[in-house]
Amino acid sequence: MHKHIKEVSVIKEDNSRRSFFKKAAAAVGLVAAAGYTKNVISKSSSSTGDAGAKYAADIASQEKAVLGNQLILMTDDEKKQRLDALLNCHYQEIA
Amino acid sequence: MSKEKIEGLKEAEEVQQGRREFLKNVCVSSVAGLVATSTSAEASVDATNPDADVTVAEFFQGHFILMSEEEKQKAIARLEKRYSAQYKKKTTVSNTPAPDGVLFGYALDISKCIGCRRCVHACVKENNQSRHDPEVQWIQVMKMPKGNIAFTAENLDKGYPEKSEFGDYGVQVGGNAYKTAGLSTEDAQNYYNDDLVPDRDFFYMPVQCQQCEKPPCVKACPVRATFRDHAGVVLIDYNWCIGCRMCQLACPYHARRFNWGEPNLPAEEMNPKTHYFGNRPRMRGVMEKCTFCVQRTREGRNPACLEACPVGARKFGNLLDPESDVRRVLATKRVFRFKEEYGTYPKFFYYIG
Repeated sequence: MHKHIKEVSVIKEDNSRRSFFKKAAAAVGLVAAAGYTKNVISKSSSSTGDAGAKYAADIASQEKAVLGNQLILMTDDEKKQRLDALLNCHYQEIA
Repeated sequence: MSKEKIEGLKEAEEVQQGRREFLKNVCVSSVAGLVATSTSAEASVDATNPDADVTVAEFFQGHFILMSEEEKQKAIARLEKRYSAQYKKKTTVSNTPAPDGVLFGYALDISKCIGCRRCVHACVKENNQSRHDPEVQWIQVMKMPKGNIAFTAENLDKGYPEKSEFGDYGVQVGGNAYKTAGLSTEDAQNYYNDDLVPDRDFFYMPVQCQQCEKPPCVKACPVRATFRDHAGVVLIDYNWCIGCRMCQLACPYHARRFNWGEPNLPAEEMNPKTHYFGNRPRMRGVMEKCTFCVQRTREGRNPACLEACPVGARKFGNLLDPESDVRRVLATKRVFRFKEEYGTYPKFFYYIG
């Protein structure tokens, strides 16, 4: 009877140890996969060709934003208003 | 209790102890592994691995403005250590606060600018921008035909109020009436490559961050990584920036630059005198822009672009001081408004002297 109990406990012990190793191996695998994925993503996003096109697109959008506009001459009143608005905004924030 | 039972219990206890030991070992080795990983990340700063640019501690640091003084000093020490190792020269990262009683403003004389782009290159050098593939420039110079000028100086005084049977309401006719009193960027070129400048039929207009008093980029930032300091300069905490580019979309002047790739900054060209919010080297995936050379202006110096200008077209000063250059320009020169319809109140003024 006692022998039987001992055997069962040994089997249970083996099972739990095995399942623990299984879980540990799975966790290690998961971490490795995450690391690999991260590397793949960062490599693809840092490829210079791709980045070059994106820089060019940014510059084109700036051109679009700035061109086709007008610089309008301000009257003395407008200049005063602008300055007053800037100073008011500043003093309000400081207060 | 029988002898056999006692032995069984003893064995079970031994097994349990073995398991406990094992788990203890696993925990200890995991902790040791984590420590080793973070240490290696810190230690690998002098390696060429670009991933070492952001250390674990940097990754977890908060917004610089919200840090305690001690945390700020630690963050700065970390950066100085990393930059010094990476660029093989003693690098300082300053944390000089914005001066009180100052509101920085900038004025640029379009009639004086000769389009030499010295300001552009001085800015690139001073602010540790990417040097190649591509060279990131915060200032873009536009070349505009002078024929675009819609009003004429001769007609300035030729307008008069229209008389009407209902009375004189001061509606102006004649002279420059019904003409846009300004310049148009309609036929401007952003990328001119002239052997000789200036071309006398053209105006040159450098465009950079306008340091708006009501900056839409600040409103658009979902994490408050970009903010305006009390001297009126819009800054970015590069470590807090998540690279969403909302600010770039919000800026009416498109004055912000995003680092799509790892910036290429050769060690021998790196400017080692940096500021946390200014010209310290940036990393991939963050936004950058003109800061009025915060590392200089917070110490009472002029921006690099102004110092480089060979014709004195650039003026910088305190808008709160009526005797400053910028205030004098506003008081005495013909000043233009540019994209004012966005209501952002830029503190960068274009004028004709």
